[in-house]
This record gives sequence, structure tokens and C-alpha cells, in this order.
Amino acid sequence: MADIYSIVTSQQLSYEQKVVALAHAAEDTLSVIPMPERTRFFFEKGAICNLNEGNAPYRPRYIMPDYEKAVRNGVKFLELDPPQDFDELLTFLQVLYRHVPSITTYPVFLGDLDKLIEPFITDLSDEVVKRKLRNFLIYLDRTITDSFCHANLGPEATRAGRLILDVDRELEQAVPNLTLKYDPSITPDDFAEQAIYTSLCVANPAICNDVLNAKTYDRYGISSCYNILPIAGGSYTLTRLVLPRLAALTESKEEFLKTLLPEAMQCMADYMSARIRFIVEQSGFFESHFLAKEGFVERDRFVAMFGLVGLAEAANKFAPEGKKYGSDAEADEVAEQIMDAITAFVDAYECPYCEIANHRLLLHAQVGIDTDYGITSGIRIPVGDEPESIYDHLRHSSRFHRYIPTGCSDILPFDITGKQNPAAILDIVKGAFSLGQKYIAFYASDSDLVRITGYLVKRSEIEKWNDGQTVLQNTTQLGAPTYASAHLANRKVRGV
Amino acid sequence: MALVRKIIPQSTVDGPGNRTAIFLQGCNIRCAYCHNPETQAMHDAEAQEMSVVEVLAEIRKGIPFIRGITVSGGECMLQPDFLTALFQAVKELARETNHPLTCLIDSNGTIPFEHFPELMEDCDGVMLDVKAWDAEVYQHLTQAKDNMVVKQNLAWLLQHDLLTEVRIVCLPERVDVENILRHIAETFDFIGKKAPVRLLRFRPHGVLGELANHPMPSDEQMAQYADLARSLHLAFSIK
Repeated sequence: MADIYSIVTSQQLSYEQKVVALAHAAEDTLSVIPMPERTRFFFEKGAICNLNEGNAPYRPRYIMPDYEKAVRNGVKFLELDPPQDFDELLTFLQVLYRHVPSITTYPVFLGDLDKLIEPFITDLSDEVVKRKLRNFLIYLDRTITDSFCHANLGPEATRAGRLILDVDRELEQAVPNLTLKYDPSITPDDFAEQAIYTSLCVANPAICNDVLNAKTYDRYGISSCYNILPIAGGSYTLTRLVLPRLAALTESKEEFLKTLLPEAMQCMADYMSARIRFIVEQSGFFESHFLAKEGFVERDRFVAMFGLVGLAEAANKFAPEGKKYGSDAEADEVAEQIMDAITAFVDAYECPYCEIANHRLLLHAQVGIDTDYGITSGIRIPVGDEPESIYDHLRHSSRFHRYIPTGCSDILPFDITGKQNPAAILDIVKGAFSLGQKYIAFYASDSDLVRITGYLVKRSEIEKWNDGQTVLQNTTQLGAPTYASAHLANRKVRGV
Repeated sequence: MALVRKIIPQSTVDGPGNRTAIFLQGCNIRCAYCHNPETQAMHDAEAQEMSVVEVLAEIRKGIPFIRGITVSGGECMLQPDFLTALFQAVKELARETNHPLTCLIDSNGTIPFEHFPELMEDCDGVMLDVKAWDAEVYQHLTQAKDNMVVKQNLAWLLQHDLLTEVRIVCLPERVDVENILRHIAETFDFIGKKAPVRLLRFRPHGVLGELANHPMPSDEQMAQYADLARSLHLAFSIK
């Protein structure tokens, strides 16, 4: 109750942030997900973490509506007819986005924005389209006040895609996150270079390896913090294994790999299955929500994300003294043993209601939260341990990305001179993707917008928050401590 | 063997795309505005004798992230036999790894390229410094006799589709920039082919001697050069 009082009386939370926090507090008074004793033990040790997903899930964590279908058919529940022109489309999307639930209460996926827009701008001049897009994107940034929100572009170059990039560069906003799906055989160099140039100006878009990620499902999109999920579906839940905290329970690699890890994974998988069952069987979401009723999401297109974080620290702990993940073969080998054990477990475990994933939980390199001290995102190399050569860095991540189907990424700050030669950075992207890297994000070392663990935050907003002021974006509150605790200012800047 | 000053595995300023840049030691002219004066001496304790195999090993590390290599200096054309062997080896490496690699030369153009047909066979292009057009201006800037060969190289490279880029360092007091631009445009017209022109704004960074603290040309000055280049229908960029 003290918590609730402090939410109500906070002067650092905006009104909307209070409402969300209060709803969360109310949900957490329930306990409907079974928590066996051993599972509770791992939770208490912090080795399993449900990312504050709430004690009684009443919607899937991430929802990826089929917006193209909605635009084609209209939405009966919202009394929206199919839009006939560009203005109608933008209003249609603004209304629909407002009603797409998620763990953040805001939509985490806004669709393939370029493809949605392209058919509606044929008769309009660039100036007119940009003016309307500017208003649309400002509306999104100021009302979706949480940057775990993603729109997709590409892989085809479109006029809409180019105009979105132009406007995005002018506006310098944290929302929406953009990702360009990149396929060298489809995406022309000049479009990819425009995307990279934009990224070095405003830390947006990130670049996704379309060739590899497209193999995950029939239709995929990127949502929230680099989640690769089926369109017209999503993910019920994301629970994560905090490897360094699990590793802290033993000094023996043998015990870790043979006993603790399997035990914790079993507890976590059972816990996730219970959450899935509650959402599907008890919450009523799929029976009552218009997205499901009108076929914009389908129950059998949802997956569940088995997250892991801190592979680096766990590998370092069990590697020979002084050997480090990212630069020493011995530590990388331990990391591979851990990943092989995790993969073997999820390949064998059958979970309910995950038809599109062949009834399996899918691995996700979770990027971390604000309270993760000394725990590196997913499978990344810790800040400060990056190899001297960017080529070695990317070879390393390619080696580990292959384990992860539902999202893993690297973030590279580039020296500002990179802006003068985006083609050079595209060469690096092409090389990395050909080796198996799945996703890569950049920002320039002088940019106000920075990628925290995946989401975008303005450094200037972090300063305001640290100064005790109210800020619009929820993610600034997460980003401010993470920027400091994960030493992100010290990420190795890749000179060019 | 070559005397190598430095290898930069990831360069975005030495030609198109991402390249491994190799800087050879030793130069035959002494440009007043040189920003790598440490590479001028024909011998230097910090330069390293390296074989083609050793340099190739460094280049290999960049595959598949690089589009090719650029050899610069100093003046790399002072070691043409090494260049020929290196370029042949790089092309072989490209075939072996199935990763295309281009070989570019960054040169002051004082050595005639047409004398090295075997080298030019594997060379994908030259970035040519045209430091001045007037011979006296050139002499004063570089301490070289004249720039006849540079002009011949300009035409020869253009004719053979090997001119990747013309570079002009813009330093109004010492370089006849307008003169160069006009004559380049004339040469282009005469031969009926074109190449991109890069206007490099003089920066005192790294420069020794009389120009060490010389100011950069103003924005207005650079804009004037740009206007002229535009009026001459040159494809140009400013850095």
C-alpha cells in the first residue's frame, strides 16, 4: 500500500504514468500463476525474472496486428471503414494504434509503415506527403510515450520509405523506433545508404537482416526492442533467465551446466506455460478483443519468448581465470556450451498454444532492464571488453546470433565522420549479414538520441529526469539509470 | 618488399565504400600543406619493411567487410613493383574468397602510369591529386620541377577509365583552385569523359612548417569554388 501511496503522490510521474503504475499495482494483488517452491527460489535469487509482466496477464505481452488487413477490411468495433485517401489512412491508423494493447499499454508494433502508406500517396507531391507525415509522426511521439514501439520499412525501396526517413531525420524523435528490413538482393544501395545516414543523424532506423529473419515465420515484423515476431500474432510472454545470477549459485561449471541450468530452465518454462494457459484459457482476451474477433490477430500465431541475459558474465565466470567473452576463445567456448545446453532444452520442451513455433519456446537475447548491474544485454560483449577490431566484434556476434530466433542485436556508436560515407558502413553491414549477424543498430557519437539497450532515449531528457523533472517518455525513466549503470557512454566508438 | 608506414583496416575516407588503406613510406615532393609529413622521408624508423604476403594477411582480416583496398603514401608509385605484386595477390584473394575487391591508388601523379601496364591491368582506379595547374604555383607548393606529368596522367587515366576521382586541396593563398577547375573541365571536354572532383578544404591538422597554424578557407570561399565547379558542369563534392 505504501507503494500505491507513493505512486499517487509522485511528482516525477506524469498523470498517464501514474494510471499505468496503479493498474499494475492492482494486477499484482492477484496470484493466479502457480509458483512452485523451487521456481520461487530462482525468482528470489533473481535468476528467473518476469520483467514485471504482472501477476495476472490479461493480454499477450506483444501484439503484432495485421494492419494491412485492417486497412483493407476496415475495423467494425471501431466503426472505421477502409480508408480511401491519405488523410483517412492516417486518421485510421491513429485511431487503431490507440486501441492496440501490450505490456506497455501502448502499441509495440505499428506495421510496415512504408507499405501501408505507399498506395495512398501516388497523386500527392513530396511536400504534401511530408507535411502530413510530420504531423502524424509528432502525434505518435507525443501520445505513444514509450519508445518500445516499432515501425518497419523495406526491404523494397519505396517513395513512402524515403519520405519517412527524410521526415524522421528532421524530427529527431524517440518514437517510433524504425527498422529497415535489409536484403542486398532487394534493397538498393542508395536506399540502404539513406537509412544509414539517417541513423547516424538520429540513431534511427536500425537494420535487420531480412534474409535470415524472414526464415523464422511466414510473415514477420520487428516490434518493441528488436523482437522478431509473426505478423497477425505476437508473443504471449517474455520471461528471462538471468545467467549471471544463476551462475552466482555455484562455483562449479559442471554443476551449473548439468544441474542448475536445466532445473532453472524447467522452472522457467513451466512458469511461462502457466502464463500462456492463463492468457488463452482464463483471460478472455482471444474471445473478447476486437483484434482477435475480427481476425487481425490469430491465437495460433502467438509464440512465447524464452529470454536470456548476461551470457558474457556467466561465460567469464566459468572460463579460465582472466579469459573474456568476446576476445578469448576459451571464454567463447564456455559461452557456446551454455548456449548449446539452452538450445537443447528449448528444442525438447513442449509448450502449450505455440503452434506457429512448432509448440516450442523461442530464444530471445533480452537486452536488460534498469536494475541489471553488471549484467550485459543478451549475448552482447560487455561495454569495455569490445575487441579492438570492429571486424572481430561482428564475427563474434555472428557466431552467437545463430542461436536466437526472436531477436538479438548489436549497437555500435560510430564516429561522426561516418556520416560522410554511409556506403562504407553499408559495406560493413553487408559483410556482417553475410556471416550471420541478424540485426545491427548505429548512432553517431555526438547524437542526442542514443540507443540504450535497443530503445531510444534523448540524452537531454535523461538530464532532465536526473534533475528530478517530469518527462514525457516512460523509457527515459528506464534509460537514465541504465545509461549510467551499464556505462553506455563508454561503448567503443567505431572510428572511420 | 615495401616500406609501409601504416595500415588502416577500416577507412571510409580513402575512396568509395569501406576499404583497407595502406600507407607507404616515402614521397618525391614536399607539399607545404602535407598532413602526413612523417611519411615524406624515404626511410623512417617507424616504417616497417613488409612483404606482399604480410600485407595480404592484414587485408584478409577485412573480408567480407571491405570493398577493396587503397594504397596511399607518401607516394605509393615510388614502389611500383610492390604495387603490381600486391594488386595481383589481392585479385587472387578475391577469387579465392569469392568476395570482389577493388584496388585503388592514391597518387600525386608525378610518375607516369602508362609506364606500368602490368600494374594498371589490376588497378581499378586512381585518385589523383591535382595540386596546382600553373607550373610556378606547383613548384612553389611542392618544391618539384613542374607538373607536366600530372597533366599527362590526368588525360591518360581519363582516357582509360581509370580516374576514380580528382582531388584538389583548397588553400586560396597557395593553390590556383579556379585555374585547376577550368582546366580540368577543359580536359574532360576534350577527351569526352568525366570524373568526380573532390574539393578538400585545407585543414592545418598534422601540418608542419609555415602552414602549421594557417586558417582553413572560409565557408564563403568554399561556396565560391562550388559555384564555379557547378557552372563548369563538374560532378563535385566538398569535404
